[in-house]
Amino acid sequence: MIQLRHIGMSYGERVILHDVSATVAEGRITAVMGPNGCGKTTLLRCIGGLLHPTEGQVLVAGRRVEDYSARELAQQVAFVRQQAQTDFEFSAFETVLMGRNPYQRRLQNESQEDWDIVERCMKQTGTWELRFAKPAQMSGGELQRVMIARALAQETPVLLMDEPVSNLDIAHQLDIMRLLRAAGKTTVIVIHDLNLALRYCDEVLLLHDSGLLFHGPIAEGLTSDRIRTVYGVGSHLTDGQIVFDYC
Amino acid sequence: MNRGDGCHGMDGRSGDVHRSVHAAHKTHANPWVLAGLTLLLLAAMAGSCLLGAVDFERGEIFHSPIFWRLRLPRVLMSVLVGAVLSVCGAAYQSIFRNPLTDPYVLGVSSGASLGAAVAILLGMEAVLWGVGGMALAAALLTVLFIYRIASIGNRMHTTTLLLTGVCLTLLISALISFLMVLNQEKMDSIIFWTMGSFGSSSWTDVAVLAPVAVAGIGVVLWYGRDLNLLLAGSEAARSMGVEVEKVKRVLLVATTLMVAFAVSSCGVIGFVGLIVPHAVRLVAGPDNRRVVPYSMLVGALFVLVCDTLARYVLRPSELPVGSLTSMVGAPLFIYLLYKNKKEI
Repeated sequence: MIQLRHIGMSYGERVILHDVSATVAEGRITAVMGPNGCGKTTLLRCIGGLLHPTEGQVLVAGRRVEDYSARELAQQVAFVRQQAQTDFEFSAFETVLMGRNPYQRRLQNESQEDWDIVERCMKQTGTWELRFAKPAQMSGGELQRVMIARALAQETPVLLMDEPVSNLDIAHQLDIMRLLRAAGKTTVIVIHDLNLALRYCDEVLLLHDSGLLFHGPIAEGLTSDRIRTVYGVGSHLTDGQIVFDYC
Repeated sequence: MNRGDGCHGMDGRSGDVHRSVHAAHKTHANPWVLAGLTLLLLAAMAGSCLLGAVDFERGEIFHSPIFWRLRLPRVLMSVLVGAVLSVCGAAYQSIFRNPLTDPYVLGVSSGASLGAAVAILLGMEAVLWGVGGMALAAALLTVLFIYRIASIGNRMHTTTLLLTGVCLTLLISALISFLMVLNQEKMDSIIFWTMGSFGSSSWTDVAVLAPVAVAGIGVVLWYGRDLNLLLAGSEAARSMGVEVEKVKRVLLVATTLMVAFAVSSCGVIGFVGLIVPHAVRLVAGPDNRRVVPYSMLVGALFVLVCDTLARYVLRPSELPVGSLTSMVGAPLFIYLLYKNKKEI
């Protein structure tokens, strides 16, 4: 579904990504992991067509990302950003309804199908009760779930998520991760919580020194050696959980 | 969790829920509201034609050159300019993602007036689109400048944006004063541009502005949903299928074109684009598919009423309409700044 071919990204002298190649497995959840500032978000933005890599190509469904129109790409790829932010007072329902934009013609009203999809996505993310709430009335976690509902309403085969669960409490983190599993989409997710990733993701793209250190099944990827290399922290596996060696 | 939806049923009665959600989330303009506002506007136009320095005898009005040559074009111009400025305000607020912007606050109107002043000094008044064209060129330069300078990353910072606008306005009025001192014989006609008045509106003005207004407002209406998505941020809009750069460019050119032609025919009339969309949003919510058409009609009505007051209250002399709109708009602007100061 998604192919990365020798992706490189640099701003002037500063190299963010260097020669990253991978084929992301269809219908599976791939975690993008690595320390802060290692290019995880940049990689995700390249896949979403929000950034053009300085080298290499990204292919979605066999076609180069830059060859898609914005509308076509929005029917293939939905993106949940790190910071959810709206200034104007759109209700949660109106916000999720925006996700239907790639399927609507200009000056056309939303169809019954649009309304049904929005309702379903809001119920899946537990935001249906918030449908009349304005951004100022919602907590960070609630807003984040609304943004996830909006991405689901785009009904895309590919879902890109930049730290979608960082603002959520543990119960909602688990809800969202279960939801992603059930959705069965090709999902690429930037996630910091190693154990959450280990439990819910299938594969990992482990970034280190602006290159790709490992790509493959997550249980094979997150060894204590690699964790030490990438994060500089010692750890060991106990009962299927990564436990860090403190001090 | 149960905020504002206490009256709606559980999911079991989803039919009811559906209907109520539909009712609570109207996305397009209500045709009845549009029709009502249009009727109100037409009534106000008729009333405004009757009011003025000269009173008409019954039945005399349609034979009077005062009606045909002065009042009717003036009423039409105030309606057109009100509609144009309000629609541009609504569009600017979405493009810049900032509820405190409009062409006046950002200095774009002043830029247009500088262009118009230069055109007058160069003796381009005789050319039909001459003054408008120069106003457009100057206004486009201003908006481009603002756009470049005020965007840090992909977010416009309110403080930077507003301060840049204020500084530009000051700079431009200094340049206009300079031009006036250099050309004292044309001072009166330049002063007129900086004050804003429909006192000299003619059928020529109507003929020049009307097609620009229709086309420009049409473009903004066409991109109504894109304007909503732009409010969610450039990247979010892009990932939901909006060709962000293209849409912004088209909208900035269309709106700036309208502002430039409005300014070149009646001068700078401040704060209309700020007040009207705000008032509309309070009642109709933030969706631009309602805000834009409602603002068009409410704005037309607002400027028409202001201009009628401006020429009627102190008759036979008159107030510049721009001073009247600023007297309403500036306090409101300060109030909004105060209300939003947490975010700034």
